[in-house]
Amino acid sequence: MAAPGAAGGGRSGAPAAEWGGFEDNMQGGGSAVIDMENMDDTSGSSFEDMGEMHQRMKEEEEEEAEGEAGAGEEEDGEFLGMKGLRGQLGRQVADQMWQVGKRQASRAFSLYANIDILRPYFDVEPVQVRARLLESMIPVKMINFPQKIAGELYGPLMLVFTLVAILLHGMKTSDTIIREGTLMGTAIGTCFGYWLGVSSFMYFLAYLCNAQITMVQMLSLLGYGLFGHCITLFVTYNIHFHSLFYIFWLVVGGLSTLRMVAVLVSRTVGHTQRLILCGTLAALHMLFLLYLHFAYHKVVEGILDTLEGPNVPPFQRVARDIPVVSNAVLNTTAKAIALTL
Amino acid sequence: MSSFEQFHIDFYQSNYTIEDQEEGCNSYGSDKNPSINKILKFLVAELGINFEHIWQKTLTVLNPMKPADGSIMNETDLTGPMVFCLALGATLLMAGKVHFGYVYGMSAIGCLAMHALLNLMSSQGVSHGCVASVLGYCLLPMVLLSSAAVLFSLQGTPGTVLALFIIGWCSLSASKIFTSALAMEGQQLLIAYPCALLYGLFALLTVF
Repeated sequence: MAAPGAAGGGRSGAPAAEWGGFEDNMQGGGSAVIDMENMDDTSGSSFEDMGEMHQRMKEEEEEEAEGEAGAGEEEDGEFLGMKGLRGQLGRQVADQMWQVGKRQASRAFSLYANIDILRPYFDVEPVQVRARLLESMIPVKMINFPQKIAGELYGPLMLVFTLVAILLHGMKTSDTIIREGTLMGTAIGTCFGYWLGVSSFMYFLAYLCNAQITMVQMLSLLGYGLFGHCITLFVTYNIHFHSLFYIFWLVVGGLSTLRMVAVLVSRTVGHTQRLILCGTLAALHMLFLLYLHFAYHKVVEGILDTLEGPNVPPFQRVARDIPVVSNAVLNTTAKAIALTL
Repeated sequence: MSSFEQFHIDFYQSNYTIEDQEEGCNSYGSDKNPSINKILKFLVAELGINFEHIWQKTLTVLNPMKPADGSIMNETDLTGPMVFCLALGATLLMAGKVHFGYVYGMSAIGCLAMHALLNLMSSQGVSHGCVASVLGYCLLPMVLLSSAAVLFSLQGTPGTVLALFIIGWCSLSASKIFTSALAMEGQQLLIAYPCALLYGLFALLTVF
């Protein structure tokens, strides 16, 4: 056990010395230039090396502390409350760990959480947004040539939020009660889940079917397709006729679906692939509108049924006759329990 | 105009607010208690609460047709917004709804979302405090709506029309201030719409 330990210590000594050199570079330079020859592919293992160095310094600290246990107390008194050599080493190690950690965290943050990546997708004019909203209801005829899809995220995001607002309004007017969760959470989860989830799924299918479409374009296409849903739900949540809903579902929902389908067909080669992609998108899009109507408007339907005709109201109060036999059983059981207690 | 602004900038940090406030205080002080002068001076010097500025901003919000001064955004003043949020909660309480938590939660999330959107859409950045300040000030008409909800139920057609009018008023004021401060003139409608959605949520809270 001692030999591998010593060998491990020896091994850790050499890379620790290299990393010590790296640390000197970082501390001495103070420039923003990253020295790539020290970074290379082992930057992922830098935590382990830092961990080893930290461990080594801790062990050295402990040895010094054991050696200076007696002297440390005197030094404490001499340095007017400062903790002496052990405290200084600890502070330095803590400082170094903090600085290295902070540097790596800020580097990762600036790479991945940089919101400026999305900036080009929000650079729009009101006229463009209006034009795209209207175009989303007009199916294109030319499917032999790849149709242009605007890679824009402002319009789809606002449409998703509008759908959330319409759903909330519909749920409030129909006094829908959500038992496990909140109204707001349900609405946001449903709408954003559909937009992001179905877009991702369709992008995956498009990748399988070799369609020429990017993720942002898919998000944009599906987002603008929600315009039909917004119109349908806005009208049918306020004017309650079943037949009106079905007409809107077919016409408005159908138009926006046809538009999306036509654009996808123009960007896909092969009959089977076109069928798979467009069938899936059409089914999901139309079924989502059906789901939104029926899942969040039940109470209104109940009221409509009672108003429209001689149907049975949803809740009927029937008098419950408790038979004599069960009454006797109940009494004897209560007496038995009272006796045992 | 620029030389006037430079003149102001030279004096802004050291003398402007206190002297202006002192003049205002003296005009009050001659009518009322001299201890009010001391309180006002303390508020300005220690806490940065400047009643003149708060009143100017409130007037800008209440009159959506009045052109907004871009320098409004330079100060992050959260006193007015806090007062308006409390007033909204209080008027909702008078209508029988205890929704303070919802008001604060929706304000916080709305500020974060608007801050992200404005940073993405504008060429110059904007801070959280400025967004919170503007959105808070423009909440004042919503307080009027919830006061109306105390007197009569808003769940009919007149209530809906009033709610839509108030939402339009709030979002117009907010988008006017944002576009004048961030130099996004052609995009006022694009900023007004998300503001309208946010204030629509507050209106839903008030109406139902």
